Amino acid sequence: MKFLEFEAKNILKAYGVPVPKGILVKSIQELEDALPSLPEKIVLKAQVDVGGRGKAGGIIITDKERALKDITDLFSRSIKGRSVNSVLVEEALEIKKEYYCSIIVDRKEKSPVIIFTDEGGVEIEVTAQKNPHALRKARITPLLQNVPDFILRSLLRGAQKEIGPVINALFRVFVEKDAILAEINPLVLTESGIYAADAKLIIDDNSLARQGITVNRDLTERERTALIHGFSYVELKGSIGVIGNGAGLTMATLDLIEYSGEKAANFLDVGGGADQERVAHALRLVASDPSVKVVVVNLLGGITRCDEVAKGIIAANVAPHIIVRLAGTNEKEGKIILESQGYEMVSTMEEAIQRACQVVK
Amino acid sequence: MIYGSRTDGVIVTGATGNQGAFHIRLMNEYAQSVGGKGVVAGVTPGKGGQEVHGVPVYNTIKEALTEVSATKAVLFVPAKAACESIMESAEAGIDCVVAITEHIPVHDVMKAVAYAKLYDCEVIGPNCPGLLSPGEIKLGIMPSQLFTKGNIGVISRSGTLTYEVVDLLSKAGFGQSTVIGIGGDPVIGQTFTDVLAHFEDDKETDAVVIIGEVGGNLEEEGVRSTEIPLVAYIAGVSAPEEKRMGHAGAIIEGGEGDARSKIERLRRLNAPVAQKPSEIPQLLKEIL
Repeated sequence: MKFLEFEAKNILKAYGVPVPKGILVKSIQELEDALPSLPEKIVLKAQVDVGGRGKAGGIIITDKERALKDITDLFSRSIKGRSVNSVLVEEALEIKKEYYCSIIVDRKEKSPVIIFTDEGGVEIEVTAQKNPHALRKARITPLLQNVPDFILRSLLRGAQKEIGPVINALFRVFVEKDAILAEINPLVLTESGIYAADAKLIIDDNSLARQGITVNRDLTERERTALIHGFSYVELKGSIGVIGNGAGLTMATLDLIEYSGEKAANFLDVGGGADQERVAHALRLVASDPSVKVVVVNLLGGITRCDEVAKGIIAANVAPHIIVRLAGTNEKEGKIILESQGYEMVSTMEEAIQRACQVVK
Repeated sequence: MIYGSRTDGVIVTGATGNQGAFHIRLMNEYAQSVGGKGVVAGVTPGKGGQEVHGVPVYNTIKEALTEVSATKAVLFVPAKAACESIMESAEAGIDCVVAITEHIPVHDVMKAVAYAKLYDCEVIGPNCPGLLSPGEIKLGIMPSQLFTKGNIGVISRSGTLTYEVVDLLSKAGFGQSTVIGIGGDPVIGQTFTDVLAHFEDDKETDAVVIIGEVGGNLEEEGVRSTEIPLVAYIAGVSAPEEKRMGHAGAIIEGGEGDARSKIERLRRLNAPVAQKPSEIPQLLKEIL
């Protein structure tokens, strides 16, 4: 789950990383009340979790005089489709130099990797392509809680030595907050020292509970409902509903739709060993999306029993046309149950998709 | 076969839970049918002295190893206990741990895999169905009725999609040497590269099918590392960016790891890539 900038900065601050002075405001009135205590030059930063926020008009550099007019404008904007509910108001920094620092989970290294460059101020993807040698990387074994000094030295080389403790603090945040990405971009040098001018923090979805986070804000309402039932569910933009068991099989089913030139309405993986009730829940959830015109159920029984699935499909009793492909454990029993109720059965996933595409046309 | 044979004894941790107990029974039915040792002990802290389907349960792996001989472990413990269980297995001298458990925090996985490496213990998974070498050994939860013995290795990030492909292979007359699910998480123990190296050394394997998906680039990494003939399939051309497609690791992040560019890179490495699972047997025929 993504943290907003002000949340990430609050955490960094608690770990000793200097951040610009600022306040979070949720209304124009709140800014008006705070105005007397603010410095002359300020920055208004919309708290929305989208990339390229600055370019999309989510950041306004202003002064006390124009601030109220500018924040009124900012609250009325939509930044890449997100409405602005809160704005971080910060002192504007006099930047002498920009750095970049991030920590990621590296799949190949199976470890955290720190990425640092003293050639900041450019989009990091651009640096990675045009000037890859400027990016210094260091793998840290996951058995360590702190970054060893020799690694900090190899990352910093000639850079401001005050950055060392900042990188170490960022690493501790990364480990202790179960992050999959912790980023300070830019990390800036000013007359009065080093500051994290912007920060990004993404928490591992598998660690939300132990981090005390009860609601994953990145999910839609329907996706959250699905999670409560133990389904993996992703809303998409098409009209063919899909229920599968196992993430790979469900993705492969979606791909067949894509290759046929149609679009799936969702991805729903009911998981292993789904019983009647779970299948019924899944079907009702998919059918509750008004854009769904037809539903493909593609289940391969291992632990999952096809007769249970069949009973679940009948119990759900939903409106859209359903095309069912069942294979594996108790396949025959499942087929008999469904065919006796007039459900459409096919024997391969390719057939299921062909038929679904015909129905939506 | 790779990673294990019928002569290996197996310990199941999380033995007294529903899943653990159910799969002890299935693994031992399989072991019996091929004349293997199968599951010789279960481990659940605090439940020592009990039995699960005739298998004795101990409190710790070390305690179990004083009475039985085992070299492999299969984990069914809950996510929050999985890191400990992997480390305990490695430290006790188990040489290969199959972690079935899903939803383990990624920091725990990184730590457990790094720790296991200190003891030369190979970790398969987590969030995987384990492996099955027909006629030899089943370590995990794969439905054995779909498998036939042969010379094709299968490596997959998925579970049921693997069974779908195994079923297609069996029906087309391609038996399997070992089928292994390496797991759907972003960080896993054995990667495509590691498993392909094992298959290269395996006399019984003549070609490999790799079943990948969106997220990361370890499929390409693996294909680049090997000389063995292979066919690939990549799931997720329909996956949108920044959305987790069921597996924690199946996510296109920062514009990286999407299926189409992955397929293109694999083709540039001269690997035939099937567009549909049903094309896999035909592509295999062409390379063998």
